[in-house]
Amino acid sequence: MISQVENPVLEIHDLTVSYDQNPVLWNVDLSLPSGKLVGILGPNGAGKSTLIKSIMGLIPPTSGYVRIFDKPLNDVRARISYVPQRESVDWNFPASVLDVVMMGTYGKLGLFRRPGKKEKNLAMQCLEQVGMTGFVERQISELSGGQQQRVFIARALAQQADLYLMDEPFAGVDMATETAIFQLLKEMADSGKTVLVVHHDIHSAMNFFDWVIMLNLHLVASGPKELVITEDLLRKTYGGKLNLLTKVTDLIRNKDFNPLKS
Amino acid sequence: MEDFVYFFTFQDPSITWVVLGITLLGIGSAYVGTFSFLDKKALLGDAISHAVLPGICLGFILAGEKNPVYIVTGAFLSGALATFLSSWLKKNTKLSEDTIIATILSVFFGIGIVMLTALQKSGNPEIAGLNSFIFGNAIGISETDLMIYGGLSLTIIIVLTLFLKEFRLMVFDPGYGKAIGFPMEAIRFLFNVLMILAVVIGIQAIGVVLMAALLITPGAAARFWTDRLNPLLILAASFSIISGILGTYISFVIPQMPTGPWVVVFLSLIALLSFMFSPKSGIIFRYFSRKKYLRKTHKDHLMKALYKAREENKEGLTIEEIYELYPYQKVQIDQSIKDLLQEGFITKNQTLVNLTSQGTSDAMRIVRLHRLWELYLNESMNIAPDHVHESAEQMEHLLTPELEAMLEKRLNFPTLDPHQETIPRENHDL
Repeated sequence: MISQVENPVLEIHDLTVSYDQNPVLWNVDLSLPSGKLVGILGPNGAGKSTLIKSIMGLIPPTSGYVRIFDKPLNDVRARISYVPQRESVDWNFPASVLDVVMMGTYGKLGLFRRPGKKEKNLAMQCLEQVGMTGFVERQISELSGGQQQRVFIARALAQQADLYLMDEPFAGVDMATETAIFQLLKEMADSGKTVLVVHHDIHSAMNFFDWVIMLNLHLVASGPKELVITEDLLRKTYGGKLNLLTKVTDLIRNKDFNPLKS
Repeated sequence: MEDFVYFFTFQDPSITWVVLGITLLGIGSAYVGTFSFLDKKALLGDAISHAVLPGICLGFILAGEKNPVYIVTGAFLSGALATFLSSWLKKNTKLSEDTIIATILSVFFGIGIVMLTALQKSGNPEIAGLNSFIFGNAIGISETDLMIYGGLSLTIIIVLTLFLKEFRLMVFDPGYGKAIGFPMEAIRFLFNVLMILAVVIGIQAIGVVLMAALLITPGAAARFWTDRLNPLLILAASFSIISGILGTYISFVIPQMPTGPWVVVFLSLIALLSFMFSPKSGIIFRYFSRKKYLRKTHKDHLMKALYKAREENKEGLTIEEIYELYPYQKVQIDQSIKDLLQEGFITKNQTLVNLTSQGTSDAMRIVRLHRLWELYLNESMNIAPDHVHESAEQMEHLLTPELEAMLEKRLNFPTLDPHQETIPRENHDL
């Protein structure tokens, strides 16, 4: 069940991605409409983060390509915002909440130029949107997991982008925060932004997302929530990895070179 | 004393030059080093500083004398080769980073020592100055040397200041930097160049063996005092300057004394003091705040005991009775009684101890927190009533009024704890 759309915001064409020689995503081919809150679902190790990272160009694809706003990534980077996984950084780094959110303005500033008053005001606005105004000067290691997550989201907001890619923004977040953040994302989608969220909880996914992508090393489904969240597709997504696919992966890994590389 | 005055009044212009040089060197290396410390790449600095030795020797051979341009260039190239090799090996082999760094450090340094020994045997009279590159000699620096080393330091400081935002991103979240389109590989490359330069500028004054200490220790020591990047950089630079100048002074006063080891001694002293005395993360502060906390828990326990006596309609407890409740804690009990008397929470009539009205309400709060927590564990976390007491003994000292309110709301203002004891709120609960 893969719904393709006309004039997509994001088009992924036959994307295959490998780590070293381990294929972790097979021939993902999908397109997304604009102004939607999109969930990427799948079990652990299904390649959800990998998909986001390769959309952002952080992992080179083995084959296939990604087009965003009908252009290659490098032409439209300023319009895309990225929230990495919280664990990907060292929160003991000497910085305040404001310092981190200000990083969201670096992209528009470019090299050399330093953030000034305008950037600071923008950062403050974004902190307000995620309800973190009371923590502006706080050292980032003193925050709870949920608060760190909100700082990352504020940083992404400060990029003022049209497409948002978020890697597990709800990991380690309490229920109240989760609902508040979902509300914020919903408002963003309503104002025409497209928000892609890697997520693991099917329950809240049913409530919040408009569009759902289901992954399990390969693309199981991509389409409007009502069409995609079915018992059959959920079983295909969460019912274990395809036996044959695992065997082929082993075969490739044991070769002396990567045979998938074009 | 005479030497001290002579040195620090800068009557001798050559001393002024040396101090200026060591100051610039201190700022430059502390600046770069703090970033590499935050980036958890402290060992790379050590490898580079050992790896510049073959380049120094090669520069000497080519120039036939101690020409700073040749030597700096040689040192830079051999440091660059080591850096390149380490990242190439990391990318193309499955060797772990510490293996690679240890190998590069020892191989390059070994080659350097072989070359140095061969040069010493060659009988070139200029060779004497070359030995100072091992442990450094700041006093022996000539004015031309100073121009070159000082100039390089200044370059490092300026470039780092210009790219502060980019380097901050490189250390904190390079993936994000790449995502917003910053050329993170080029920034990393630039940083590595600065790192090698920072090593190169220190070889004359500090020496190749100990240069890593000047890179890493200032940042590590300063980290105890601040949680912000800019103050961290300033503090690290100050530590580095102070140790640099003191080390230079020692090698000025005592002939034949190398500078590097003394700079490291002073740096270590600063690091040790920071480790001991800094607020929040220093061990002494932590020792005292723990002690203060323990004192509070003893007081809380005593008040609780007195409150429970009131629940049983006793008019207070005698000191003997209290000792019996908490055997082996006589000293702490005496201390608590003294403290609580002073704070006006209890009264003592000969040997009978009782709560004042102020003490009663505070004791009630502790008992309330204890019982609320027991009930919470029992109801929300499914823990059996006979397993909840220990945890409540700890939490009663920690729970804030905010959390208390949340507990009350969550449990819907309960009246009894899992042991059927009253959760006290007003005075009439007694």
